[in-house]
Amino acid sequence: VTADCGRSHTAVGRSIAFATFVIERTYDATLARAFKAWIDPVAKARWFGAPGEWKQIERSLDFRIGGIERLVGEFPGGRTSAFTARYLDIVPDQRIVYVYDMHLNGTFISSSLATVEFTLAGKGTHLRFTEQAAFVDGYDDNGSRERGTTLLLEQFGRYLRDSIH
Amino acid sequence: MTQRSVTHSTFTIERHYEASPQRVFRAFADPKAKRRWFAEGEGWKVERYELDFKIGGYEGGTFRFGDGPPIRNDTWYQDIVPDQRIICAYAMTIGENRISVSLATTEFKPADTGTLLVYTEQGAFLDGHDNVAQREAGMKELLTMLEKEVGRDS
Repeated sequence: VTADCGRSHTAVGRSIAFATFVIERTYDATLARAFKAWIDPVAKARWFGAPGEWKQIERSLDFRIGGIERLVGEFPGGRTSAFTARYLDIVPDQRIVYVYDMHLNGTFISSSLATVEFTLAGKGTHLRFTEQAAFVDGYDDNGSRERGTTLLLEQFGRYLRDSIH
Repeated sequence: MTQRSVTHSTFTIERHYEASPQRVFRAFADPKAKRRWFAEGEGWKVERYELDFKIGGYEGGTFRFGDGPPIRNDTWYQDIVPDQRIICAYAMTIGENRISVSLATTEFKPADTGTLLVYTEQGAFLDGHDNVAQREAGMKELLTMLEKEVGRDS
């Protein structure tokens, strides 16, 4: 438990900042392969995580409606981040909708609704990621969520490219 | 095969209630109170309703309007700050079709002699089964029902 934790429970001024962003990418992979890389725990572990010195502490993925995904990690210097998602809509090879919370050092900073749409683009897959976020209690995202997600989608693309056989 | 589509949309509703934030919050937290204003509307049949009001807790119900198809609500509580804030995610399903998934934030703010309630819904409306105008109208009706609930003697 950190000092941040205590602060979030005693703060008087609660606030929320709502934000929406969309990221679109096209990948040279079939719909089925792109979709599988999002839902298969082994495949997802290859691309879904922070780069560099980040250390994974906990990871689980239960891909079904109502199922939970968790990813907890620690950055150099001891800062921890925890991602907790619940799957709310699944259309195989086409769509995933989930809600996810982020905690930084044990403090709740946001809830988001994330929609991932997969559509055919020639022989490849067009992916459209939409995040509708609520950042709480003065957490200043300042675009970092969108930058982080862009990075993840680059890692996803690299995984698709490197896993062809 | 269903033509898949998603329309993302956000709306906000503000309402003033002549009751304290504690009183208004209680109408969300107490399962009997919530059922009265949220589930039991005129012409609605409640086939199932449950509420486990805690972070990570589930709320759900199956409702029918007249002889219509079953309408299912599945809600999970993401964040709760007593008397101040509730964030939940919910999915609506009619028959076999999931029509929407939303993130809903309710803020309770002390205002003059009562409470300013600010409801913000960030919705994903699915496959053309529903739209934001309908959802906003439905939510306004519910917040009117809430007025009656917080006016009850407790």
